[in-house]
Amino acid sequence: MNKTPCFTPASSSPIARALGRLAPIVLAAMMLLALAPASALALDTAKCTARPNGSTGSEVYGGTETRVTWEGQADADEAITGLSIVFPQGTTFNDDTTGKARITLLTADQSQRLGFLDADYALDGETFTATLDEPAQAGGYLRVEIYGVFFPVSGGEMVLSGSYTLEDGATLPVDDIQPIAVTGVSTTGQITSWLSDQEWVQAWNSNRFLRMFLNPVIIVDSFPVVFQGFLMAVAIVAVAFPLAIPLGLCLSLMRMAKLRVLRGLASLYVNVVRGTPLFLQIYIAFFGLPLAGLSIDKFPLGVIVLAMNSAAYLCEIFRAGIQSIPAGQTEAARSLGMNGAQTMIFVIIPQTVRRVIPTMTSEFILLYKDTSMLAAVGVMEVVMYAKTIVASTGSITPYIVAACFYLVITLPLAKVVGRLEARLAGGGRRRKHRGAGAGATRPLEGTDSAGVTAYVTDALTSQPVIKNDAPDAGR
Amino acid sequence: MKMKKWGVLAVSAAMVAALGLFGCSGGDAKPAEDKKAEEPKTEAPAEMTLLKEGTLTILSSPDYPPFENLENGEIVGYEVDLFNAIADEMGLKLEIQPLQFDGIIPAIQAGGQGDVGVSGFSVDPERAQQIDFTETFYIDDQAVAVMNSNTDITSENAAQALNQEGVIIAVQSGTTGEAYVQENFPNATVQPYGNGTDCFAAMQSGQATAVCTNLAVVKRMLADAYPDAHMVLEIATGEEYAAVVSKDNPELTKALDAAIKKLQENGTIDQLQDKWF
Repeated sequence: MNKTPCFTPASSSPIARALGRLAPIVLAAMMLLALAPASALALDTAKCTARPNGSTGSEVYGGTETRVTWEGQADADEAITGLSIVFPQGTTFNDDTTGKARITLLTADQSQRLGFLDADYALDGETFTATLDEPAQAGGYLRVEIYGVFFPVSGGEMVLSGSYTLEDGATLPVDDIQPIAVTGVSTTGQITSWLSDQEWVQAWNSNRFLRMFLNPVIIVDSFPVVFQGFLMAVAIVAVAFPLAIPLGLCLSLMRMAKLRVLRGLASLYVNVVRGTPLFLQIYIAFFGLPLAGLSIDKFPLGVIVLAMNSAAYLCEIFRAGIQSIPAGQTEAARSLGMNGAQTMIFVIIPQTVRRVIPTMTSEFILLYKDTSMLAAVGVMEVVMYAKTIVASTGSITPYIVAACFYLVITLPLAKVVGRLEARLAGGGRRRKHRGAGAGATRPLEGTDSAGVTAYVTDALTSQPVIKNDAPDAGR
Repeated sequence: MKMKKWGVLAVSAAMVAALGLFGCSGGDAKPAEDKKAEEPKTEAPAEMTLLKEGTLTILSSPDYPPFENLENGEIVGYEVDLFNAIADEMGLKLEIQPLQFDGIIPAIQAGGQGDVGVSGFSVDPERAQQIDFTETFYIDDQAVAVMNSNTDITSENAAQALNQEGVIIAVQSGTTGEAYVQENFPNATVQPYGNGTDCFAAMQSGQATAVCTNLAVVKRMLADAYPDAHMVLEIATGEEYAAVVSKDNPELTKALDAAIKKLQENGTIDQLQDKWF
C-alpha cells in the first residue's frame, strides 16, 4: 500500500501503472485518457467473492487456499483485452494461480456460457494479470476464476482493486469491487499449516494407510467440526432417552394389561417398531410427516423418532424385568391390602429398576450410536459433519475422529454396565448381608425399596430374600 | 476385575494388531503387484494395473440422474454409456460397482474395489491432492429449484431472495453445489443431505426452501419426479466433470485420457450428450 512507487519513473510499465490506481493523480490522468476515446466507460463489478475454505460454513480463512471469483459487466462498446487484479499485500499464490485460472464469457444473467476465453496469466507480486489472446466480445459479461490464492493469515477486510485494458490500449480502473471479509486463520488452521510442513507428517502421510485413516492434518482440521456434531448427538440423546423411559414403561404396562385392546395396541406398536429398520422410520418421519401437514423442526423431530424407537425396546426390557419378579411378591402385596397400582408402584417397580439398569444402559449406548442415522436427513450430528469432510477431501480420517467421539461415551458406559452386572450377579449389597449371616432373613431396612421388599417378603411369604436379589438363585 | 482389564487390553491389542496388518497389506500389496507387472518387461513402458484382467471396474453412486441412476434394476446414464464406449476403445469389459458418493474417492485411493471412480466428480484442487483426474468429458452448471407453491422466490429476484436469513437451501454434502451456496448465499442456511434425491424430497416435504445442485440433475428431477417444482436460477459455473483414478496408477489415467480424447474427436461424446441432456 505504498504510494511512492507510482510516481517514480521506474514504474511506468503497464502493470505498475495498473498498480497506480491508488495514486489519485495517476488515476485521474488515466481517467482523462480513457474519456478521450470512448465515453462513460466502466467495467462494473457484479461480484467478487472467495470460496469458503473452512471445513464447514461460509467463512473464508486467511492462510488457507481459496479460489477468488470476480465477475463484471463491460459496457456495450468495450472490448476487453486484458484484466489485472491487485490483491492486498501479504497475499500469496501457488502454481494453480497461473496454471488453472479461467476466464468465462457469459450472458448478462449468467445463465448461459458463451465460451471460455484463452488467455495468458501472469503474477507479479500481488498483481494477477490476464492477457486475452483475442479481445472479448464487446459488452460481455466476464467471470475470472483465480485458484490457489492464500489471503494473509491475519485476515480482515480484503480490499481488491483492478484495472482493465481495452482493444485500443486504454487502461481503466475496475469499479466497485466489494471487499472480501476474511477471517484470521483459526488456531486449527495454524496447527494444520504447521503440521503439513513438518517432515514427520510428510513421512507419516507417505504411507497410504496412515494417510487415509490417520492423517494428522485432517485429524486436527476435522476435530472442532466433528465436535459440534458430538454436542448435537449428546443433546439429542440427552432429551430422547428420558422421554423414552416413561413411554416404554407405559407400553410395557399396556402389554401386560387385562384389556385385550390395550395389549393388542402395545404389541402392534412394539412389533412394528422393532421389526423395521430405524433408518426407514427416520425417512418416513422426516419426509412423510410434513407431507401429512405436520411440520416439526429437525431437532425435535429427530428426538421424537429416536425416543419412540427406543421406547419399543425399553418396553420389552421393562416387561421382562417386571415379569421376572416372582408372582409371590404381587400376592403378598395384595394380601397386605395394596391395590394393583400400589403393588406396581411400591413393590414391583422398585425391584424391577435394579434388574433392568444394566440392559437399560446398553439400550442407552445403542440409542446414542443410532443418532448417526439422523445424518441421512440432514441433522448435523457427528456422522453428518464427518461425511461432509470425507466427501470434499476424500480422506477417511474424519470417520476415525467421529468413531472416537462415540467411544468417549460408550467405553465408560460399557464399563458401568459391567460393574452393575457384576454387582447384581453376586457382589455389592448381597455380599454385605452374607457377612452378617448368609440366608438369614433381612431386617427391616428403613424406607428404601429393598427394605420394603424384604419386609413384605419376610412377613408374608417367608420366601428367602436372596431370591429377590438374584434372579438366578434358586433356579 | 483384574481379569476384565486384561481382557480389555487383549482385545484392544488384537484390534490394533488387526488394523496394523490391514495397513500393511493395504500398503504393501500394491507395490508388490506393480513390481510383478513391471519385472517381466523392463523395456516396455509401465503398464496400467487393473483390478481384474480385461475388465475396467468403475465405482459409481447411482443416484444422480442423468449421469447414473438405477432404472429397472440396471445402472444407466451418460457416464455409464461414456465409459462403455471408453472400455470398448481400450478393449476392456466394463463392470460397475455401486458405492456411496462420499466413499468413492477413499475406495479408489485404498484400491481393491475398483479402478476408476465415475460419479459426476467435478475437478477440484482439494480432491486432486488425493487422486488424479482424467480429462474432462462434460461441463455442467449449477441451478436452483423451488416448489411451485413458493411465490416469494421467482426467477426475477432469485439471486437476492435466496441470500436471506431463514432461507434453507438443500445441497448434496461435499459437492460443488454446497460450496457455491456457501460462497454466494452466505446469509442462507445450507442444509446438506446424503444424495441429490433426498434434497428434493426434503424440499417437497418443507424441510428446505430450495435445492441447489447441478443443472442437468435439477432438469431431470423436475421432469421426472417433481412436476410441482420449478427452476428459478441457472448459473453457468462451468464445472468440469472428470473421472478419478488412483495416483498409483498414472498409466491408467493416460490410457483413459487417450480414449476420452479419441471419443471427443470422433463425435461420440457429442452424440452421448445429445442423447442424455
